[in-house]
Amino acid sequence: MTNSNMTCEAFDAALPDYLEGTLDESIRASVEMHLRECVRCAGLVRDLENIREEAAALPDLVPSKDLWKGIEARIAAPVIPLTARPERKRRFAPAWMGIAAAALVVSTAGITYTLTSRSLTKPESRPVAVAPSKTGETQTPLDTGSATQPSNAIAAASTGGSGSLPETRGASGQRGGVPASLASQPQNEPSHSDAVYGEEIEMLQRVVSERKTLLDSSTVAIIEKNLQIIDAAIAQSRAALAKDPASMLLSDQLTHALDKKVELLRTAALLPSST
Amino acid sequence: MQAASNAVRVPMGDSTDVALAAGGDRQAFERLYRTHANRVYSLCTRMSGSRSKGEELTQDVFVRTWEKLPQFRGESAFSTWLHRLAVNVVLNARKTEGTQASRTDESDVGDERWDVAGHAPMHIERMDLTDAIAKLPAGARRVFVLHDVEGFKHEEIAELCGITSGGSKAQLHRARLLLREALER
Repeated sequence: MTNSNMTCEAFDAALPDYLEGTLDESIRASVEMHLRECVRCAGLVRDLENIREEAAALPDLVPSKDLWKGIEARIAAPVIPLTARPERKRRFAPAWMGIAAAALVVSTAGITYTLTSRSLTKPESRPVAVAPSKTGETQTPLDTGSATQPSNAIAAASTGGSGSLPETRGASGQRGGVPASLASQPQNEPSHSDAVYGEEIEMLQRVVSERKTLLDSSTVAIIEKNLQIIDAAIAQSRAALAKDPASMLLSDQLTHALDKKVELLRTAALLPSST
Repeated sequence: MQAASNAVRVPMGDSTDVALAAGGDRQAFERLYRTHANRVYSLCTRMSGSRSKGEELTQDVFVRTWEKLPQFRGESAFSTWLHRLAVNVVLNARKTEGTQASRTDESDVGDERWDVAGHAPMHIERMDLTDAIAKLPAGARRVFVLHDVEGFKHEEIAELCGITSGGSKAQLHRARLLLREALER
């Protein structure tokens, strides 16, 4: 339809800006004149304005179920209290790093064999008790290996007898050849630490397993692959600690690996869903 | 501005619960959830075009809110902040869908993924506005929901969606025309 001022095609082109209220005054006047004369265009404007008004007044929708449980499960993953974490930084004191370097030099000087043979036989003669596996780490589809290894290696590490490290750290901070930080700990504290890790890992694994179907399959594959790598590191650290319970380096490595596992699981638990 | 009128549904007592929740109080956070869940769910569902997807996204929004809450400085109303965060979560989820979404032509109005009311795909004579919005092409639907339902400005939509302001206006007009057609007005 046409009129003296504007065609319907021209009106259609101006319509978005007309509805936005951003038309120049002169064009707006033409549009309004056209609207007074054109039933088709007047009906179109009326319909679009109704849609806009109805949209602004739409009521809230209500979920078909209570979503809080799912949210709570994802935010409730416990965080390891700092006091329960082994004191990693103190273990990597400069003195210890120097000792490690010195030991390396000595070993390259040709007595590796002697030291190695001693270190392999010593732990067996020590009265070191490696507790049976009890960490709460349950085997889930996303946990592929750590549960098959001795799990209380942290306990074993701190309950071990005298090793080379205590003697070389000097007198300060030591008691009876054991670093003060460890000697002052109750015998069961490392075990508690391990249990804390176990509980957290178990809970996070449960959440991740439940959410697995909501995550992208390639993401799940990457998570599982990384968990396998971390679990292998945990298993190796535990096996090594079982042979050398006094090694703080191994203990730190185990703690680091457990931290990594918790971190990865927590990240996976908080990942947004995908389709 | 419509955003302001929509965001006015800020309940009293939010600020206390926000502070408590930011400090790790899950009960306070649950109260915030109960207060805002329907509004967030409505946004997620209307923007995604699916009730089930809307529920997933709503959970994602509140998990994200829990993580981000300590960063909330109170410079805007909590509901406004939450709403913007929800929009970002929905839009980021769309980006994450990436290749899957790219396989679907966004101009395909008859896409059967959209099932807001649990109804059969749209061959019915007349439908209500909620159903009709769900059947819109994704790009037009997002802009329509953000502008006409949620009250965002074109400039804000352009920034959020990574499009131009003119593109936002064009999508909005297209959405309104498609809705008119679907509603047989």
